[in-house]
Amino acid sequence: MNLPLRKELRSPLRYADYSLGLVAMLLAAMGVALNYSSTWRVLEFNGQDPATYAKRQILFVIIGIAIMIGATFLDYRLYRDFANQAYLVVMLALLGVLFFGVERNGARAWYELPGLTFQIQPAEFAKVAVVVALAAFVADKDGHLRLVTLGNAFLMLAVPLGLIYLQPDLGTMLVFVAIGMGVLLVAGAQIRHIAITTLVGVLVVVGMFNSDDLGGPEILRQTQEDRLTAFLDPTFDLQGASYNINQSQIAIGAGGIRGQGWLQGTQTNLNLVPEQETDFIFTALGEEFGFVGVSVLLLLYAYMLARIWFITRSSNDLFGTFACVGALSMFTFQIFQNIGMTMGITPITGIPLPFLSHGGSSTVVAFGLIGLVINISARRHLA
Amino acid sequence: MNEQLKRRLAFLGILIVGLFAALFTRAWYLQVLTSEELAERALSNYVEIVITQPTRGRILDRHGVVLADNIRSGVITVNQSRYAPGQTDFVLEQLSELINIPVATLKSRLQDQQTHPLAAKVVATGLDEYGLLRVSELSLPGVEAKWVMSRVYPQNEIASHIVGYVGAMSQGQQDRLLQSGYLPSERVGKSGIEQIFEPDLHGQPGRTELEVDSTGRVHRILSQTSATPGSDVYLSIDADLQAATESYLRQGLIAARKTVSEDSGFFFPAIGGAAVVMDLRNGDVLAMASHPTYDPNWLVAGITTLEYQSVFENPYAPGALNNRAVQGLYSPGSVFKLITALAGLEARLISPRAAYYDVGYFQIPDKYGCTGRCTFYNADKAPLGIVDLSSAITRSSDAYFYKVAHDLYWIRGDEQWAIQDMAQLLGFGSQSGVQLPFEKHGRIGDGDVKKALFEAKPDAYNPYGESDQWLPGDNINTGIGQGFVSVTPIQLANAYAAFANGGTLFSPNIVEKVVSRTEDRFGTSVIDFDPRIQRVAEFPEGSGVVREGLHGVASKARRGTAWRAFEGYDATGYAVAGKTGTAQAEGRNPVLQRKKEDSAVFVAWAPRHDPRYVVAVVMEEAGFGGEAAAPVARRIFEALRAYEQRWPDPQVAFIPPQPECPEIPEALRGYQAFTSYVPEGCPWGIQVPRANTAEDVDGDGIPDLEERN
Repeated sequence: MNLPLRKELRSPLRYADYSLGLVAMLLAAMGVALNYSSTWRVLEFNGQDPATYAKRQILFVIIGIAIMIGATFLDYRLYRDFANQAYLVVMLALLGVLFFGVERNGARAWYELPGLTFQIQPAEFAKVAVVVALAAFVADKDGHLRLVTLGNAFLMLAVPLGLIYLQPDLGTMLVFVAIGMGVLLVAGAQIRHIAITTLVGVLVVVGMFNSDDLGGPEILRQTQEDRLTAFLDPTFDLQGASYNINQSQIAIGAGGIRGQGWLQGTQTNLNLVPEQETDFIFTALGEEFGFVGVSVLLLLYAYMLARIWFITRSSNDLFGTFACVGALSMFTFQIFQNIGMTMGITPITGIPLPFLSHGGSSTVVAFGLIGLVINISARRHLA
Repeated sequence: MNEQLKRRLAFLGILIVGLFAALFTRAWYLQVLTSEELAERALSNYVEIVITQPTRGRILDRHGVVLADNIRSGVITVNQSRYAPGQTDFVLEQLSELINIPVATLKSRLQDQQTHPLAAKVVATGLDEYGLLRVSELSLPGVEAKWVMSRVYPQNEIASHIVGYVGAMSQGQQDRLLQSGYLPSERVGKSGIEQIFEPDLHGQPGRTELEVDSTGRVHRILSQTSATPGSDVYLSIDADLQAATESYLRQGLIAARKTVSEDSGFFFPAIGGAAVVMDLRNGDVLAMASHPTYDPNWLVAGITTLEYQSVFENPYAPGALNNRAVQGLYSPGSVFKLITALAGLEARLISPRAAYYDVGYFQIPDKYGCTGRCTFYNADKAPLGIVDLSSAITRSSDAYFYKVAHDLYWIRGDEQWAIQDMAQLLGFGSQSGVQLPFEKHGRIGDGDVKKALFEAKPDAYNPYGESDQWLPGDNINTGIGQGFVSVTPIQLANAYAAFANGGTLFSPNIVEKVVSRTEDRFGTSVIDFDPRIQRVAEFPEGSGVVREGLHGVASKARRGTAWRAFEGYDATGYAVAGKTGTAQAEGRNPVLQRKKEDSAVFVAWAPRHDPRYVVAVVMEEAGFGGEAAAPVARRIFEALRAYEQRWPDPQVAFIPPQPECPEIPEALRGYQAFTSYVPEGCPWGIQVPRANTAEDVDGDGIPDLEERN
């Protein structure tokens, strides 16, 4: 019979929220299945192993799970001490990728390591570093954010934003904005400060959009502008930028309530939706598993976010709270933005769907963040 | 956790719930409310673009004989993407039985790398209606039997080097051509007129945008533009004359192969050659032959590897694809003496009637302090005795022109490069500008050329490390068309044409006009190629004597170097003036592994006094110009006479060059001693009987009686 111990003396793992890990693994399993269904036909046609992508994704998931478990054990409060160093290292990595990275789809965002079949995207890791560093910074200020402090926080965000802008990768930039907004809002930034910054942000975006029209330099690339314009007017350039939006909505809608069955989706099989294994993986789910599948996925995500929200609320430690808020904001934004774009309610930006999209860096980072949240959940009663 | 934090957290939670609600609503809307409509669009959601290939323009000769045409040809295509890997075998076996093509061949055609991997591959061509019917009755999935237009060359190898051929587009062209509306399967001009006039011949493809569902049913036509056929290209050549020229060239080469070379004791290899027939009044090319030749149909319809190798990779007949008339570079040999003679006259170094004693060689006088080679021998070291400019040309005295070139070398100032300047004036060393691809420039040796060659390829040009200064010997060699001189056959024809017509150097036209075949402009010519004059040269005083010398080449019995070839030639109204050349070729024959034999060259025009046509014949490793090349030219002139009778051409207005009439005091005009210096056609002096008179049956302007003396 166990003696009643003080909460602080019990093993923290007793309080760990394992259901989060379970949900993450469920999502990852769905991801592998969808990776397979959206690539097997083309791979087989090209005479390659149809499971090439799925197998690779399995490898990423295994690495991710290992990192998630690893991130659970070490007291997360130690992370706080290394937050600044981690931030610095990742910023250097972001800087380096501009010079040593490989270019894909017009963005220089990946490191290619010799001997590996996949690349490493430092911007994904920067998300974790920024979440942790921003949480540490805000926690230091004890939740009292004055304008000056807010300025420093913005500076912390501005560095990765600037570096990623140079790659360029609009989607990932927006993720950082979401993380920053979430953490700072919860941390107690004045609504009017947020409002002013938002206004400035909107003006900057509008300026970027129109700078070349107004005689200034071209800040947004034409493709980016086109994608945003296509979002506002889907009939614009049917075969070009709107093609993705139209095809992905057609695919999702064609799924109906029950879906066409795994590996049966015509849009998916005929490769009519570009980038289907990465940013548009949700369309494969929508077409092949229908509204039922979409609901299951959304509920799994909702459960995951709800758990993170509760852990945030119950944490006794400000650093833990803000780290959770960062993770929460990041996941929320990525999920909403990605699924929203495939369904035509948000503009098209290259943001992966956590756990589902094919890709090593994003999968590992998602698992790592979940590991961090489990870690916080385990020690939420400690001060 | 303070209250404010909790409030803000709650706000965040509500926001998340709101966002998820939006996602659910949207998914509901797409997948439940509008699902049916979207599912239908999924079935018919892509636009199919049907590109109709325009009919390629034809290529015709000047009288409308079709040289390149299109025919309907049955093809069978197989779309591999309709099958799982390894399942094509069954289909191919079935096809193989029907159309009698081995399965292995069909398979290899499916592996064709030139078309898009997802596009249907052509596995059989040239089928007739029954073949197509048999295949379409079987209705195999992914197999299509259809008619396409394919290129055909009805005259086979006639004019193949001029017309060129079509073939699959190369990797380099692909992007550019696909952007301008070509189909990936389309064939484009790869050589000759097919290449140069590709934009005119091709036309504009038609484009129909169809909304097609996934089973291929057309729902509606979104937009449609019909194809614009390509324009016809009319050449200036005459197909019959071209055929005759080609066959005479071939026969001449075959004859040369039965002749033994005096130098080596072997039969002449006579591996190839070229002949150009030009109208010297306007620069129209009437025929242009190059040997060895090929049938472009082989390249379009496809031949076996063995056949390909035997024609296009045959070491005994190298370069079948090359048009030697514009791409072949040859030493002109003695035909270049025309240039040297004109240069000497221009520099006032030659007195046309001055006697020179040809002792069989020319030695650079000691006072010049000779370096390098000092003694230059005639071709067979034969002394010709006393010659003047006219007979030096007629009898091809090397020593005479050695001396002219040598003396020109020692003139300092502008005149030093008189030969080179005259050559350039007559179009050597630069492209003639005929509408054919890959035309060579050739080169005329001077100090710079020698320096550049020695620098660029010391092994080939300067194995013994000699000085790269321009030496007297270099100029002497240049003077008889050897050494650093290389020319193309069309340049030879063009230069002689310019001399014969009194100085007008044309850019030869091989294309007469481009005629539209679109509905609104059918039959009207889009481009007309009028005579293009490059420049008009002024020939120096005394060029009449040069002309006289050239007149003798084909007519002066036992004197002219080509007289034997023209023995028995019916010169009535069609006498020939020209020059033979026997040019030493550099290097070794790679197959026979011995020194290359001499090239035979002959350039001539006719009729002598009313020049209309110029013929240049060059035969590689075929021996003497007078023995190998002149007979070919003779037969071409005979064909030209027949051609003129068949196609009298009154449109060309042309005034033959007027002779230079020296001023001779009236009192002296009756005396033989003076009149013999006056060129024929002058109002005084001996009134030479015109051609076709009783005294001058051969029409060479010299009374026949006199000739026989």
